[in-house]
Amino acid sequence: MKFFRVVFVGIVACICGCGGSGSDPSPADNSKDRQEMLIHWADNIIIPSYDNFKVKFDIMLSESEEFTSSPSNESLTAFRTAWVEAYAEWQKVELFEFGPADRYTLRNFFNIYPADVAGIETNILDPLANLEVPNSYPRQGFPALDYLINGVASDDAGIIEYYTTGDDAPERIAYVSKLVGRMNTLITNVITEWKGSYKDTFTSSTGLDIGSSTGIVVNAYVLNYERYIRSGKIGIPGGIVAGVSGTAYPDKVEAYFKKDISKLLAKNAEDATASFFNGVNVTTEAEGPSFKSYLDALGAKDSSTGTLLSEIINDQFSVVDSKLNLLSSNFYEEILNNNQAMEDTYTEMQKAVRLLKVDMTSAMSVTITYTDNDGD
Amino acid sequence: MKNYFQKSTSAAPLAVFRIIFGLLIFGSIVRFWAKGWIYDLYIKPKYFFSFYGFEFVKPLNDYTYILFIVCALSALLVAAGLFYRFAIVSLFISFSYIELMDKSTYLNHYYFVSMICMLLIFLPAHAYFSLDAYRNRKLASDSIPRWNVDVLKLFVCFVYVFAGLAKINSDWLLHAQPLRIWLPAKNDLPIIGSLFNHVWVAYVFSWVACVYDISIPFFLMKRSTRTWAFSAVVVFHLLTALLFPIGMFPYIMIATALIFFPGEFHESILRKIGSWIHVSEEFLLPRRQFHYSRISSTLIVSIFAIFFAIQLALPFRHLMYPGELFWTEQGYRFSWRVMLVEKAGYAQFTVRDAVGKHILVDNTKFLTPLQEKMMATQPDMILQYAHMLREYYEKDGFQSPEVYVDSYVALNGRLGKPLIDPNTDLATKKDSFDNKPWVLTFNDEIKGL
Repeated sequence: MKFFRVVFVGIVACICGCGGSGSDPSPADNSKDRQEMLIHWADNIIIPSYDNFKVKFDIMLSESEEFTSSPSNESLTAFRTAWVEAYAEWQKVELFEFGPADRYTLRNFFNIYPADVAGIETNILDPLANLEVPNSYPRQGFPALDYLINGVASDDAGIIEYYTTGDDAPERIAYVSKLVGRMNTLITNVITEWKGSYKDTFTSSTGLDIGSSTGIVVNAYVLNYERYIRSGKIGIPGGIVAGVSGTAYPDKVEAYFKKDISKLLAKNAEDATASFFNGVNVTTEAEGPSFKSYLDALGAKDSSTGTLLSEIINDQFSVVDSKLNLLSSNFYEEILNNNQAMEDTYTEMQKAVRLLKVDMTSAMSVTITYTDNDGD
Repeated sequence: MKNYFQKSTSAAPLAVFRIIFGLLIFGSIVRFWAKGWIYDLYIKPKYFFSFYGFEFVKPLNDYTYILFIVCALSALLVAAGLFYRFAIVSLFISFSYIELMDKSTYLNHYYFVSMICMLLIFLPAHAYFSLDAYRNRKLASDSIPRWNVDVLKLFVCFVYVFAGLAKINSDWLLHAQPLRIWLPAKNDLPIIGSLFNHVWVAYVFSWVACVYDISIPFFLMKRSTRTWAFSAVVVFHLLTALLFPIGMFPYIMIATALIFFPGEFHESILRKIGSWIHVSEEFLLPRRQFHYSRISSTLIVSIFAIFFAIQLALPFRHLMYPGELFWTEQGYRFSWRVMLVEKAGYAQFTVRDAVGKHILVDNTKFLTPLQEKMMATQPDMILQYAHMLREYYEKDGFQSPEVYVDSYVALNGRLGKPLIDPNTDLATKKDSFDNKPWVLTFNDEIKGL
């Protein structure tokens, strides 16, 4: 028993010693309370973001009805403006692909590009075309509308003609209505679920295991940044993800037919990522419980310099932002003229991916995985 | 010494151990199946990470289910003590085969189970309270050589003590890593949850776990401390079961600790069971001693001597490699280093060829999330994966593809940094037990064993 006593004294001594160093932030506040964070996300970020998107979407919906009932220069321009605004606002909700949005796989039906032009033309002629299957994803959503209101002819007169003359005009009109109507149904379902029972489900799952709310948010957030912002908006069209040296794929940019809004879309997505990281309240713009406050509460930092991990991540977001600012508003042209700028942006985004995917998840003890299994 | 090998002891502890161990393995296999992991881990993946030297051990497509059935039935037979020798060999082979199919599912406690099975092959665990003994009264014995039970105790000592010694390192003791990362993740547990918001709790857990591991076998051995020690075993392992996703391990360790209790304790258990199933007094007390033939006794003792010599050496083999063990993981497996690291990684591979074709590899196309996660932090798996990619892209039209990796790994709360030299063409590097010079240096020090 003497051994026990010695060990016990040793432990006590050490704990006192360690406690005395005072290097750890006091956990007396509730900054490590994940439920507060979940409630803040749901009430002050996710649901209001969807509401904001729905406002813009509804304008696009009514302008599209205006356009389909009487295609004209005026109705086309109004529809197009509303489409740009809704598409830009979409960037602020695309990252919420968990919970209801994940169940409906919302992104698949809203923003898979480049648009499949031949497929769209086929679908127009087939009113029974199945829009649920994977090959139909690039035939619907914002990218398909991009083609339908910006790309079917070289000028507006041609576009209006596409919907007014010719045998297939009624089918074309019908397809536009069908796509917009379908988007409306899906986004309405998602918002209804968030405002219904899902919010409680979301805020009461406070663990960090696989399938817990924080776990699925982290996974969806990182996936969105890596695959749909870094690769989708920059890496793939820039020829960085795959290809032959010196070849890029400018026709794979987001909003290829409209062209001059690709930077606007990318900036909005990047900003939404940074704002979510900092827990920025969509209505008041004040910061609330977030990845940032949680990481700070955990004391996540670079042990060699003492810099907080959240600061390092925010700095990297700023660097990415400054690289995006250097790009032309039209990525199609940027890729053709100065793809190096795209590559530079990609490189900085890649650094942000590492910080989010490795440093943040590791500090939070969240696993990037969808398969569960024992560990040891 | 010679005297020691002549000593005999009650056969009951080994018999109880056989029954519980068999049932627990059976339960583990059923649980594994029920969770759908046979499909997820061994049938769905397109590629598998073999252990070096065991490349022939591969999943068997749909027949993998049969492998698990064989394993489960063998475990039941072992528990019942029916066709014991055959069953325990079959259990050892099927269980080990399963564990060798894919490195990404490696767990120390699976290795522990394999090794216990191997020891049991040579032990007369069926001599008492078994169907074999029931059918063959000449086998039935209530007394066996003492070293038969002691080898199991010794092996359990090895596991605990090495696990404890491995915890004597600066990350574990001085920084409470990785518990300080893992515990706050459980701060939403009822009652005790809020404790985990405090860093000092992580320190207490780290120190207690270290002392527990090193000392518990000795307290289990001493009669005066045994009951308390066993309560500690139960509390400790149930707590780990509550806090960490470690499956059956806590229950296996709790059951294993029973081996330290004396013969009378186990006899009373078996007597109780015996009275339920109405077995004869003769079956419970055959009054016979189990003997090995002189030659098999010598042979088995030699085998065990070699076994323990290897067990003693394996945890120290990392000393033959330069670099930080937790970082390079050269000599990390099979050495009872349990729950010591929180390691997360990211490995972005680029395949290119002389013509200028290049592609950034989408890992999800080749690996399951679990495989990707394990691969990203372990250099030997990164190399294996690089070779898979070389072969795949060679068929896909790349001419002598070169494979590079942009890797990034965070270890125990440190900020991430590259693990592998990004300028090394991994396609040309061969796998071996040699040091891997293309693993970058850790540039930090974790002091300890």
